[in-house]
Amino acid sequence: MKIRFLLPLVVTLCFATQLLAMPKNSNPLSDSRVRQAIAYAIDMDTIQETLLEGKAIVADSHIPNGPFKKPGLPQYSYDPDKARQLLKEASWNSSQELDMVYYYSDQLTVDLMTAIQAYLSDVGIKMNFRKLEGDVGAQLWTAPKDPQNGPSAVKWDLAYGAHGPLALQEYFSRYKTGDMSISPADAKVDSMIDVLTSTADIAAQKKIFFEMEDYMQTELFTLPLYYQQAFIYESNKLNRNSGIYGNPQYNYDWDVTKWTVEPDANGKMVMNTNTGPMEFFEHPWFNPGLFITNKVLFDRLISCDGGLAPTRPKMAKYYNLSKDAKTLTFELKNGLQWHDGSAITAEEIKWNIELALKVPNIMPIFKTTFSYLEGAEAFMNGSASSVSGIAISGNKITLSFAQVDPNVLLTFTQWAPLPRKYLEDVDPAKFQQHPFWQNPVGSGPYKVQEVKMNDYLIMVPFENFHEGVARIDEIIAYPSKDNDANLVKNASAGSLDYGFTKNVADVKALEEMDHMRVIPADIPYTRMVWFNKYAKN
Amino acid sequence: MFVYFTRRLLYLIPMLLGISFLIYLGLELTPGDILSYLLPPEAVADLRPEELIAMREALGLNDPFIVRYLYWLGGILQGDFGYSLASGVPISKLVLERIPATLELSIAALLFSTLFGVILGSISALKRGSLMDNSLTVFGMIGVSIPEFIFGLIALVVFALQLEWLPVGKRLMPGYDSYWDHMPHLVMPAMVLGLIMTAGVMRYTRSSMLDSLNKEFIRTARSKGVPEWRVNFIHGLRVALIPVVVLIGFRLPMLIGGTVIIEQVFQWPGIGDLFVNAVRGQNYPLVMMISFLSVTAVLFASFLIDLLTALLDPRIKLE
Repeated sequence: MKIRFLLPLVVTLCFATQLLAMPKNSNPLSDSRVRQAIAYAIDMDTIQETLLEGKAIVADSHIPNGPFKKPGLPQYSYDPDKARQLLKEASWNSSQELDMVYYYSDQLTVDLMTAIQAYLSDVGIKMNFRKLEGDVGAQLWTAPKDPQNGPSAVKWDLAYGAHGPLALQEYFSRYKTGDMSISPADAKVDSMIDVLTSTADIAAQKKIFFEMEDYMQTELFTLPLYYQQAFIYESNKLNRNSGIYGNPQYNYDWDVTKWTVEPDANGKMVMNTNTGPMEFFEHPWFNPGLFITNKVLFDRLISCDGGLAPTRPKMAKYYNLSKDAKTLTFELKNGLQWHDGSAITAEEIKWNIELALKVPNIMPIFKTTFSYLEGAEAFMNGSASSVSGIAISGNKITLSFAQVDPNVLLTFTQWAPLPRKYLEDVDPAKFQQHPFWQNPVGSGPYKVQEVKMNDYLIMVPFENFHEGVARIDEIIAYPSKDNDANLVKNASAGSLDYGFTKNVADVKALEEMDHMRVIPADIPYTRMVWFNKYAKN
Repeated sequence: MFVYFTRRLLYLIPMLLGISFLIYLGLELTPGDILSYLLPPEAVADLRPEELIAMREALGLNDPFIVRYLYWLGGILQGDFGYSLASGVPISKLVLERIPATLELSIAALLFSTLFGVILGSISALKRGSLMDNSLTVFGMIGVSIPEFIFGLIALVVFALQLEWLPVGKRLMPGYDSYWDHMPHLVMPAMVLGLIMTAGVMRYTRSSMLDSLNKEFIRTARSKGVPEWRVNFIHGLRVALIPVVVLIGFRLPMLIGGTVIIEQVFQWPGIGDLFVNAVRGQNYPLVMMISFLSVTAVLFASFLIDLLTALLDPRIKLE
């Protein structure tokens, strides 16, 4: 009886497994066995210990370690024999050459590509790599016209890159049918993404995250290589006074107003840092916390902890998200001011949200939140003069959403309102090019005192900051991008007191300096290899 | 001579037009545009196609190549140098902000290298075969063969980080009130750039001086009993300087854009640094303007060399 029951089940399971593994089209990478073979062929532990000098964590899923990662996900630890066996089963044609692309300019990437090339060669896969130039976005992500059958609209087979989203859902939402260049339509993935992006219930989110991770890791849609860490560096002169450490790429409750620095000969506390402006201040709606200016010049409605979980109101006196997560209410604190002394009003917040809906280069998570507001679409297509889902009453702002956005609170921990009077005439398509970004006026704990573009920026405490006046007398920011090429030189010369980097070589150099300390921070930033699974022309 | 110079000046116009077109074409053929620089690939992927089109439209990138070139040229002819696509700042303002830094660095290096290069080259020629000549020749070989960024980094490690005599880089710092406050920042980049250029001028002066000292008019001067210093420096050096002047003349365009590497090593905020960022960002109005200035400097330098050569060598007549 048992056999009669079990046999068909086993046969069905075997058949289903075979079916899943079968190539979906003429591209061998559409066969999960080939993708798994590639994963088994690469010794990430050795790469982590050698090339990455231990400054990374080997990845086994898109999302980093933490409560939202399912325990016991399928592992693809280095096993070249298994890789060869899988390739044999998949009838891999060893004369085929895979084209790997990447978009980084650093030597480490070239070294990594070389290592992966050697590992793949060892199991019988030829691979060549090249750096993408020019319109990288289009070359990477142009989706095919027919999302089911292709053919692929991009030329490569494998692409190396990273994804470091603000919200964990973003790791997967990009796999939605029609949105990406690499994966043929998959109804199961679509339905999971729909749930993932439409519930604010943490338990429900966790459940669907687990399902999604399991499915994607079993099928190996993409090969996660390693989780990159951010490394915060500080000089011994700096004292955070119990201020916490967290994700340095974003804003969190880091208590910068309490920080102190050893006073100089004149008794002045001066903190030197980098990421000052080179030609303009990067606006905070795209990279809300990558540059020191965006962290300290602008304030946010809500605050969050080091892991970016919303914790408390900030510019807001309180906030309340309704049970159905479709209504969010804020009340602004009384007496909030911009750096020029003018009042921050609820009307201004409404104007800011409406402007943000029209600015193209803003952080995707902000865009999603605002576009879910009732009446947002009508406002964007010009059929309404304002967003009906934003209601103002005195200092109170009520946001009504047409659909649930699980990241609505997260958005308001990072999104910074800007003073309307300076930006009233801005062309949203040229937001970054507005003269405001030559010397911005914000609402954060520090304000601009002097800017000599590409020489230095001096920021001083904002005397009317609602959470108290900051203790450091001056923050001097020297110009650099987020990846500061002069970091080691300037730190060696004692002219850097705070910053963060993801550059492994710089971290090693900083660790050898007696006057500097380095604190690793886990951040959602996964380096991965994308497989193009569409048939090629 | 007036007709000659007028004609030379008029020749510059079609040359500038041709070169500007070629640079513009080169930029056009480079894949991508400013948006590829301003927005990371992930962000571009998240933009709707109409948003990308709107951004390109707002930056004037949707017009055909030739239309954009003619707009740019029309603007230049009317004295409108355009705006940086990255920041919206007028290019004239950006260039004027950066040019003093580049000029002070390159003029200091040019003066240093010319003075020491000519003196050391002359000494080397006059002491031919001596220990000093050999030492200077070795120095010259090292100077022309080692890349300037290596010299720069060595100087940084020794003078800024080990001995702490000089600042590690940058130009203006908070609290500088007078122009002279930042002079310590200039010393190292100017010396490194100057030393490398000195090597070339020295080697050129040496061989040119040796050549001129073997000429018949030198023997004639000596046979007439002209004092040795006068033979060497008045008769010999004057003639020897002609090719050296040509070399120095061709270095004049460096005043505009030839200090790129040194500016990067020493965090010197000059035109070279601006140019590198503009090229990386495909900020074509800015690249065009800096290239245009650089090309003008080259053409003007060649014009100036003709003039100087005629003044130095009486055998040359300009017609």
